[in-house]
Amino acid sequence: MKEVSVKTAGNEISIILSGRIDSNNAHDVESEIMSAVSGKSSLPVVIDAEALEYISSAGLRVILRIKKIFPDLRIINVCTDVYDILDMTGFTEMMTVEKAYRVVSVDGCEEIGRGANGTIYRIDRDNVVKVYNNADALADIQHEREVAKLALILGIPTAISYDIVRVGNSYGSVFELLNASSFSKILSTEPEKFDWCVKEYVEMLKKIHSTVVPEGKLPDMKETALSWARFMQDYLPEESGKKLLSLVEAVPHDDHMIHGDYHTKNLELQNDEVLLIDMDTLAVGHPIFELASMYNSFVGYSEADHETIKKFQGFDFETGGAFWRASLAAYLGTTSEKKVREVEDKARIIGYARMIRRSIRRGGLDTASGRAEIDLWKGELIELLEKTDTLLFTRNELEIEASNDNLPLVTDFIEQHLDEIGCSPKIKMQISVAAEEIFVNIANYAYNPGAGKATVRVEVADEPVTVTITFIDSGKPFDPTKKADPDVTLSAEERNIGGLGIFMTKKIMDDIRYEYSDGKNILTLKKDIK
Amino acid sequence: MSLPKKIDLHMHTSVSDGSDSPEEIISHVKCAGIELFSVTDHDAIKGCETITGLLEEGDPRFMTGVEFSCKDGEGQYHILGYGYDPASSPIREAVGEGHAIRMEKLKKRLGFLKDEFGFVFSEEDEAALFALDNPGKPHIGNMMVRYGYAVSKEEAISKYLDRFRAGNAYITPERAISAILDSGGVPVLAHPSYGRGDDLILGSDMDARLRRLISLGLEGVEAFYSGFTEKLQAEILGFAKKYSLFVTAGSDYHGSNKLVRLGDTNLSEGDEYPEGLLRFLERAGFTA
Repeated sequence: MKEVSVKTAGNEISIILSGRIDSNNAHDVESEIMSAVSGKSSLPVVIDAEALEYISSAGLRVILRIKKIFPDLRIINVCTDVYDILDMTGFTEMMTVEKAYRVVSVDGCEEIGRGANGTIYRIDRDNVVKVYNNADALADIQHEREVAKLALILGIPTAISYDIVRVGNSYGSVFELLNASSFSKILSTEPEKFDWCVKEYVEMLKKIHSTVVPEGKLPDMKETALSWARFMQDYLPEESGKKLLSLVEAVPHDDHMIHGDYHTKNLELQNDEVLLIDMDTLAVGHPIFELASMYNSFVGYSEADHETIKKFQGFDFETGGAFWRASLAAYLGTTSEKKVREVEDKARIIGYARMIRRSIRRGGLDTASGRAEIDLWKGELIELLEKTDTLLFTRNELEIEASNDNLPLVTDFIEQHLDEIGCSPKIKMQISVAAEEIFVNIANYAYNPGAGKATVRVEVADEPVTVTITFIDSGKPFDPTKKADPDVTLSAEERNIGGLGIFMTKKIMDDIRYEYSDGKNILTLKKDIK
Repeated sequence: MSLPKKIDLHMHTSVSDGSDSPEEIISHVKCAGIELFSVTDHDAIKGCETITGLLEEGDPRFMTGVEFSCKDGEGQYHILGYGYDPASSPIREAVGEGHAIRMEKLKKRLGFLKDEFGFVFSEEDEAALFALDNPGKPHIGNMMVRYGYAVSKEEAISKYLDRFRAGNAYITPERAISAILDSGGVPVLAHPSYGRGDDLILGSDMDARLRRLISLGLEGVEAFYSGFTEKLQAEILGFAKKYSLFVTAGSDYHGSNKLVRLGDTNLSEGDEYPEGLLRFLERAGFTA
């Protein structure tokens, strides 16, 4: 068999290599190519390696020499063995090398996930394939693989694709996902696991949002949101449009990770491990942008037609709404419905802007049902914009390393919430003193000699105005309320200093309760504020 | 002498398998703006002797060179030798040996063609082949076309000549390295990642190969080479640093017999020279 043939088709020179190119024939292959391409160095050259089984170093040198004459040389349809050689020697870095892709059919396969850019199918017991919506998806696949790797390095449990395949007219990336179920499936088929799902879903969300991403590695979600806000200028009354833009502009830069499409089809339970998938929307930014997309997934998209969510997630509109609110409450660390509603409204502003833009760009204004949906969202958006002055919010919960260095973070966090209700300086100071006693106690003793985390939760209730501060740690069981009160009649030198701290806390606060549950010390302090 | 801005220390003339005569290669080197060059014919130093006699005041700087094809139980290597004294007997004996091996192969090839296919040539034509500096398959192939035994040189080689295995007639790397050293030259491993033909040597294999050759006296590596990717270049530069080896740069130009451009070594003008190359140039009489 001849190892090389050269065709000029259209405006491209195709060099078709086959069999083995080694020191026995490299010279002849080179002469053949040269005589075929001489004088045509302005045309793009592509090497089709579909039938190439092996290439030796002598063959590599021929490729390199062609590349020097045709700097835009591409090699396509490269089999895995040849690709490995090209990769090992650095050829994949200096020219475009496209692998030959396995062809996979997803006919009849179970759909287990769906994201903005593709659909995930299970192709066998151990593997899933994410099929991209667009035919020209190789760059997207590469991007997703890169960001998934980044996320994994930063500590987010995720699956990384190990192969790229051809599916119909598009491409898919293959992941190993053993015996896994999406959270949507669990919620649809095992409703008794609702609370557990909320807990795991929120835990992952907090993990994502506490991950700092090195600068420049991921797109900034604020930029995207700004583009939505600018788009909306043509479709909103002038005042509302301006307000929307100024609200987004006022969101500070945030270098923490957000997933961008965080709904229950993108969370998988594999054996006992929860995995985040569909990473192509990964970005950095303020969590309000994440909450907006979550609102849309569970509520927004189905507001006009409650059946929509069923097709997408498998569970009904009521379940979606309940899951969203329970998750938001747990994420914020609050039981206050008012607080949940407040933050939800902020999320809805971004959520509606996004949905309206999306619908308009997909021709939503051309159909009656599309117009009805857009009008519904627009009405809500205008109303929300009137009553909202900031998109920022504070979570009621802070999870940090239990160390004395973090004490200022804890007191600042608590004071921030006290400021919101206009607490007097005196009470503020008293509460800070109490909180300091408790946190320092955890920092010094809970994990000694090791280290661990502490969670501080602040809850404010109206009528009567009360502040509840909860400290949670997973250290040694310890009930500070059981500690005997010190004898304050003794002189300062004679007193037990540690005991005094908890005594002061008891004096300052109106109620103090201790509970040990699920391996955690939970200490709840309550104070009535006039 | 100040440092040369453009160097190419690996090229072949018609004394071996290049297409340029020594005279032509000098004018091509000048055109390419190369300030320091070396001619490294396979197992031959005749081109260097000719060039030394041809160079004039103001011509590019020249360094004697040679490329030995070597083989031993561990593999095949191309060993370059630079700056040797062409009059010294160790290098003359080694190239003589290489030449004898080549002539022996030629004899066997002609015998093979006669025995297997009944292809015979006139005594004058055979004598003309033996009178060449470096007769190889292409030369026999051309003659076969002339006699009508094959329609093209390529067919002559692939259909007839390649069916003969010339066998293990190479000098050993020990022999080449010590001949270069004993003649006052620097032995350098040519295009290290590409052994010979099909060999692709990387990572720990490269490390083991270099250690062995260094123990035999190897002093440098051709880290800048027209056929290297950045990755291969970086790997060889890494080894040069690890073992304090000289670093050289060469294109492996063969005139019109290969696509390589003269001066293409992947060392760009203006690039900072690595320490191993600076030391090599210093040894050749250049200072920064």
